[in-house]
Amino acid sequence: MADEVFLYTLSTCPWCRKAKQWFTERGVAFEAVDVDLLSGQEQEAAAEKAHQLSGGRRFPVAVINGEVVVGFNPERYRELVNGTG
Amino acid sequence: MAVAERKDALRFLFGKVVDPLGFKFTPDEELADFLLQQEVKLEREHGAPYCPCQGRSGARDEDMRIVCPCIPFHRAHFDKMRRCWCGLFVHKDVTDPDSLPQFPPDEA
Amino acid sequence: MSGPAWVAVADDVSIKEGVPLAVYPKGLAVLVIRQHGELFAIANKCAHMACPLKAGRLDGYVITCPCHDWRFDIRDGAFLDAPELAISTYAVKEKDGKVLVRLEEARDGG
Ligand code: SF4
Ligand code: FES
Repeated sequence: MADEVFLYTLSTCPWCRKAKQWFTERGVAFEAVDVDLLSGQEQEAAAEKAHQLSGGRRFPVAVINGEVVVGFNPERYRELVNGTG
Repeated sequence: MAVAERKDALRFLFGKVVDPLGFKFTPDEELADFLLQQEVKLEREHGAPYCPCQGRSGARDEDMRIVCPCIPFHRAHFDKMRRCWCGLFVHKDVTDPDSLPQFPPDEA
Repeated sequence: MSGPAWVAVADDVSIKEGVPLAVYPKGLAVLVIRQHGELFAIANKCAHMACPLKAGRLDGYVITCPCHDWRFDIRDGAFLDAPELAISTYAVKEKDGKVLVRLEEARDGG
């Protein structure tokens, strides 16, 4: 079944880039938002959502098929995605 | 160029802070350079070299705890990872920073 | 030269309770503070990014850096969140209406 992956990231954070790269390299489709590049209410809403999900303000925050992973953690990513070969 | 000078200045100031805490700059030069670059940018736009990998909340008491180097305020967590959250600093004995995982404080 | 030198930095009446005074004995940035009737002398330079502590908030024996809120104990210079990162402190005394600070012994040999 198709994976659902959403990444909350900061444009200034190298581990956020690595996270995006990890999913890209494995052909896992994902959505991502650089929270620091949003403005106004959009930014507040995204930051608040990431805060709620992660319980902190550390990035990246990945939501993989409903599970939240804080930090660039390939081991956890591997466990949680189904659709890779 | 002014950005390069400010990067050098931060490197000098932060080196003195992290050394007594048992940390050093990551041997990954490219990563260190990228992160310092982001900090100079954050300092210009937001008034302090905030952490490039942590978000500001807007509350001063919280935000001041993620001005680099934030090690004093997250010491137990960073000592467990043997690196800071961004990986700009690692324990002095670390030679292979890529081997260090990044995990939140509540995960062992 | 023998023994550390005491340097007069101010008239004692100019140092008011709870109001830090910045002085520069031999070019060194020092902050003299009278708190609870006692005198203290600390480096006027934060251990974080070297901001002058003069404009900081003094609360009891704790001074908070105006730049990013690092807190130091004016009695021993310790940074409250990591005592390893203490700022320098100097001996200080009053004599004949003057406040004197003892700087570290000059290290140039001879
Ligand atoms: S996590 Fe590292 S780079 Fe980020 S603010 Fe803290 S010490 Fe600096
Ligand atoms: S310079 Fe004093 S807290 Fe940053």
